[in-house]
Amino acid sequence: MEGCSRAFVAAFGLLVLFLPLSQAWSEEGSSTSDELSNAPDPKQLIAAAIDLTRGTRSYAELSMVIHRPTWERRSSIVAWTRGREDALIRFVAPPRDAGNAMLKTDESMWTFAPQINRVVRLPYSMMSQGWAGSDFSYNDLSRTDQLLKDYDLALVLVSSRDNHQVYRIEATPRDDAAVVWGREDLLLRDDAVVLEHTFLDQALAPVKRLEARAVGTLGGRTFATRIRMTDLESNEHWTEVEYTRADFDVALDDALFTVFSLQSGRAP
Amino acid sequence: MTLAMGLLLRLGSRNLLRHRRRNALLLAAIAVGIASTVLSNALIRGYQYDMRDDAIDNLNGHLKVVAPGYLDDPSAARAFALTLTPESLLPSGAVTASATRIRVPAVVQSERETRGVELVGIDPADEEFLSFLGSVDIDGKGLAGASDGRLLLGRELAARLDTQLGRRVVVMALGADGRHRELGFRIVGVFDTPGRNQELAYAVTGRDALARQLGVAGVTEISFRLANENALDESRRLLVAALPALQVHDWKSLDPLAAGMFELADASLLIWLSIVLIALGFGLVNALATAVLERAREFGLLRALGMHPRHVLEQVLVESLLVTLAGVLVGTLAGCLFVLLLADGIDLGAWATGAELFGMRQVLVPRLLFGDLVLVLLASFVFASLGSLYPAWRAIATPPLVALQGSRT
Repeated sequence: MEGCSRAFVAAFGLLVLFLPLSQAWSEEGSSTSDELSNAPDPKQLIAAAIDLTRGTRSYAELSMVIHRPTWERRSSIVAWTRGREDALIRFVAPPRDAGNAMLKTDESMWTFAPQINRVVRLPYSMMSQGWAGSDFSYNDLSRTDQLLKDYDLALVLVSSRDNHQVYRIEATPRDDAAVVWGREDLLLRDDAVVLEHTFLDQALAPVKRLEARAVGTLGGRTFATRIRMTDLESNEHWTEVEYTRADFDVALDDALFTVFSLQSGRAP
Repeated sequence: MTLAMGLLLRLGSRNLLRHRRRNALLLAAIAVGIASTVLSNALIRGYQYDMRDDAIDNLNGHLKVVAPGYLDDPSAARAFALTLTPESLLPSGAVTASATRIRVPAVVQSERETRGVELVGIDPADEEFLSFLGSVDIDGKGLAGASDGRLLLGRELAARLDTQLGRRVVVMALGADGRHRELGFRIVGVFDTPGRNQELAYAVTGRDALARQLGVAGVTEISFRLANENALDESRRLLVAALPALQVHDWKSLDPLAAGMFELADASLLIWLSIVLIALGFGLVNALATAVLERAREFGLLRALGMHPRHVLEQVLVESLLVTLAGVLVGTLAGCLFVLLLADGIDLGAWATGAELFGMRQVLVPRLLFGDLVLVLLASFVFASLGSLYPAWRAIATPPLVALQGSRT
């Protein structure tokens, strides 16, 4: 259950970065040295993508699908977020999971299981792990700022797509960085929308990829309403999150993001 | 009495030679029993002392100083500052090696896996004669010093993390302020130990570098290896007096499982020795009783000629002790020879997984203790003497006339 919740937080955090996309794209044309030299600083592009969600308070209704070669599991979720660090998430379906909830504030995370009426604080070591049933990890959400702090960013390709410039950025962690990846490749549009994010191991083999699958307008904003995290080392292993409703800049009581609120099950 | 004893010895040895086959079999049985006892004793001792040495080498030392509550909650917040050098806490010459360390639970993460470990900050120079880290085989480089902020991992841990030498891992641990930290480390060396437990248990880095990263002012433990283990209690008393605010533990309380197994090995040695000697005693009674019954007419004749019953009894005792002495000597020599032949150890590689569960090393080297040999020799004579009493008594229990007539009592 907590894994589901964490996966969702990760998905949700990244999802708000995935702004409007058209259908499947291809990298049209290749960059010239002029385009590369005139392109914006990759650091500014990443910073702009991060700033899109800073300070935002939102309410969302989502569905999540965890897909495996022999089974598939669907869940329905409601979520409230405050900025990039705080989130309260409740499962509403299937009935077996309904009521399970998760609260994340800054570095801490708690889960609540109504069957046993207990709140459990997750150890920090678990917060770094991917959940066995999902392809998202907590780090997918929380480490976005780290791209600016611990990585050397290089713009390697500029292409055009849907009246936007699309930049391919290679993010290489510095030697002393607390990062396990060998490199991360990002596709960003000129309006700071992340289209694709691939994680490569230290032998530079791709391990997992997050990509936008559909675009829609919800809550007055157009963004990727369906994103998929794919485990590139396993066949048919992916997790997809789709927004069915989203309201941004809503008024939320700060008391919502408390353990008491998690346990009480109240809605704002 | 002296003359009588000389006569008895002559008579006894001649009688033994008269029944060469029977006595050779008896001697062989005793020798095999004693040889197997000596060998099994040496193997159990080898296992026992390996286990003790491993417990001491496993970052424990003979004695360890920690803050109160650290063993129950080993966190960086329980670090303590040390104003004196560890060597100055005990009399000069009492300590072979000592080390200060920072040791906290942590989680190591690679691209694909996450494992729980103990993150240990050391000064590699201190560990040389103190712990397994001083003698471990390292693929790559060792740590350059206490301020080296790179990481050593065990080979098994590296394999399970699906990482390798030169790669980067993330280590998560709680700092002294209770906040969690994510630390990036480059793997500078991969170490091999005889078993997998230590390879899985530890991630090792420089002590001072770790102190900076976790915000620790001081260390979490001091380990001592003593020059003389018999001085353990005295050394502990001195440390308790010198560091009243801290706790002092010996290796037995730090590794109670190993300590329990160590004592169990002592008990199992005595049990094994008792079983072999009791079997030996019964075998001796059976063989001698049969021999005495076969020689009933001979004893009857000796007594009819005037030999005192006490001398008949002594003759039987001397014969049994002579054959026991020969058997014990041959058996002890054979056992020592086996131990010498196995001096390089028995490779348990084929059963490594099972052996490791019992705390055994891959190569079991027998260890022969002089005290054990003396015990085996003395106990053999005591059991042989007791076992000879009944046949000897049977030899004099039959009246001479009845014995000469060839009837049995």
